[in-house]
Amino acid sequence: MPKRGGGRPRNWKDSEHFEHDDRSQSTTRRVSFKPGTKGKNKFRNWNDAKLLLDDDIDMGANVGQAQNPRKGPFRGRGGRMNSPAPRGGGHGIPKKRFIAGLLPWYQIIIPYGAKHDKDVILRTLLSFISPEIFIPHYYKINGNAAVFYVDDVKIAEKLFNADRKITMPDGFKLVVIVRNAVPNVTIDADMKEKMKLTMAKRYNPATKALDLTKFHADPDLSDIFCALSRPMIMLAAIDIIAENIPDLEALNLNDNKLHGIEHLKILSSKFKNLKILYMGDNRIPFLGSMDALKSLPLVELYLKGNPLVNRFNDHEIYVSDVRKKFPKLTRLDGVDLPPAIGFDVAEDVNLPPRQQSFLVDPAGQDLVREFLTQYFAIYDSESRQPLLEAYHEHATLSMSANYLATDSRNSNTSRLNAYISNSRNLLRIQERESRRRYMKTGRLQVVSFLSDFPKTTHDLMGFAVDLLVYTPAMIVLSMNGVFKETTTSGNPTRSFHRTFVIVPNATGGFSIINDILFITNTTKEQEEKAFATGAAEPTPAAVAAPAPAPAAMAAPGGGDAQKMMLAMLSQQTGMNEHWSINCLQETGWDLQRALFIFNQLNSEGKIPPDAFIK
Amino acid sequence: MTEVVVKNVDNACETAEEFTRVFYKQVDNSRHLTSKLYLDTGLLVWNGNGINGSDKIQKFLMDLPASNHVLKTLDAQPISESLVANKLTYLIQACGDVTYQNDDIKKPFQQTFLIVAVDGKWKIASDCFRLQVPYS
Repeated sequence: MPKRGGGRPRNWKDSEHFEHDDRSQSTTRRVSFKPGTKGKNKFRNWNDAKLLLDDDIDMGANVGQAQNPRKGPFRGRGGRMNSPAPRGGGHGIPKKRFIAGLLPWYQIIIPYGAKHDKDVILRTLLSFISPEIFIPHYYKINGNAAVFYVDDVKIAEKLFNADRKITMPDGFKLVVIVRNAVPNVTIDADMKEKMKLTMAKRYNPATKALDLTKFHADPDLSDIFCALSRPMIMLAAIDIIAENIPDLEALNLNDNKLHGIEHLKILSSKFKNLKILYMGDNRIPFLGSMDALKSLPLVELYLKGNPLVNRFNDHEIYVSDVRKKFPKLTRLDGVDLPPAIGFDVAEDVNLPPRQQSFLVDPAGQDLVREFLTQYFAIYDSESRQPLLEAYHEHATLSMSANYLATDSRNSNTSRLNAYISNSRNLLRIQERESRRRYMKTGRLQVVSFLSDFPKTTHDLMGFAVDLLVYTPAMIVLSMNGVFKETTTSGNPTRSFHRTFVIVPNATGGFSIINDILFITNTTKEQEEKAFATGAAEPTPAAVAAPAPAPAAMAAPGGGDAQKMMLAMLSQQTGMNEHWSINCLQETGWDLQRALFIFNQLNSEGKIPPDAFIK
Repeated sequence: MTEVVVKNVDNACETAEEFTRVFYKQVDNSRHLTSKLYLDTGLLVWNGNGINGSDKIQKFLMDLPASNHVLKTLDAQPISESLVANKLTYLIQACGDVTYQNDDIKKPFQQTFLIVAVDGKWKIASDCFRLQVPYS
């Protein structure tokens, strides 16, 4: 645990000089020994452990033993700590000594500061420490006390020495308490909005560079404590950046008092293009801390001004150690690096970008869209019985299911019991007889098998559709997508991969003759994006449309396409060929529109009955 | 099912086992020979990118990072011969995890093949590969 990292003896002495009992100070030391003081003290909450929880790395530097007094080497001295002797003696100790803490912030408490105007107090202090000046952050009245923060250790010491040195107009001496503590903050929408606006101001779209140097000191953030050194705030900042500048290439985090940076690991998953990172003048202690950033493809890095740099006596070793972590680096601390000699092992190969849809023949687009819309409208409905119409008399269907290896979630909703027991995984089902049995043949078997699956809603907008074969005799169609089980408790999402082999049937329509289906859990990423586009109930017109323009219809090969469309329209509307042709010609062979117009006219009762006589 | 059909179902399953064994071994270990498994006019659809013809497929495959496929689920069905000019044709669905060298992260994938017997050799007529990721 880093909590008891350093500064232990310091605190011990630190508190001793407070001869006068101002509780906020003494509780930081004694809180664990005298739990009874809790609550009496109005300042104490500033230093409460739970308020610092999101900053556990920095806590080590603070009054850490207050949270952990009974562990480790400190224990042996606990007895003495607890004994009244030092305290009694404390009254007599005339000498005060300021000891710097590891946290970059100091809380200044002026008990009874509420009596005076903010201006009066600040001017008094400023004139006392003159010629030094300071910026009081987050000045607040807390009960009777005035509380503010400074981010400079020198100022903190000067203020520390001002304790009881200044006589105020009312005759009392001004008590100044200095503590090594960070301001508490809750990150709300308002704060995020302010951060966003401040970032926007600091972003250069031309270079895709965001400059967050000394972010907390930005004048636009003067009223909130927005220190990136606090992991919670940094993570909130990263979220904002990821949302608004996902293609960020350069980030400057210079001079932000960064200490622990383990949580910056998330940068590599959020910013694939981040190549330049400035982290100078921070407090990063070890080069090992930079491991969190290892998977960023950095070409330029700035680390000057961090303790880690001083740990190296030999600058060349420093450079070489940094390069080991970031092999693509060409510039470090503002200096160009000599080209590294590596091995030519195609490490830069990336996967080609994925496409949502592939059509072996663009002419098949509408048919595919219509077919899937119709099919899943029935599949997702109350009863899957009408799917009998969609399957060929000799159709075969098999389903296999498996858990995701990469998924460690093991909740009830992730169980695939409804599928696994019927899974025809040939790697497990070895017997011929079983393999035959698990394959469903004939439309009755197929549809009754499907009817037993949990009720579903498919995310049609999220389908990846690949049209692999498109000939007059046969269509092969693969899809990947996500569905939700609507009647299962918790409405779990599932991922599926499915292939239909579709053939024209005797009545001018189409039937599925092979259906092979794989079901598994959704990945976390899939779950997050599922049903993200539009309503869960897709309208036919909006379904799966990442495809070439309809102009392709007029292209060579349109003859087949027209036949298909004709068959499709006729099948869906029940109109005979003559009327179907008319309808398609009217709409310029646009199946979508033809269907739309049909539906409209039909609902108005404007289609004559003989249109349906075949 | 008639006896012929039953035999065909058995054979589809056994061919699928053998085929996937050969295919993933080639892709992972001898990628430069993989295109031999495709028809000259074969089609590969890789995450929505369509590649026509075995020569182009070879080039495409060579440009992918080195891979390691682990098969977890396999299924297969025979395709009615009347549809495919009386050529023996099987539909094979293989699912598992793939790791590419560029990022070394295990990713779930699903892949469907249409393989056809030509002159005593099984050849891929179409190959549809999808990583299990959100596509919306």
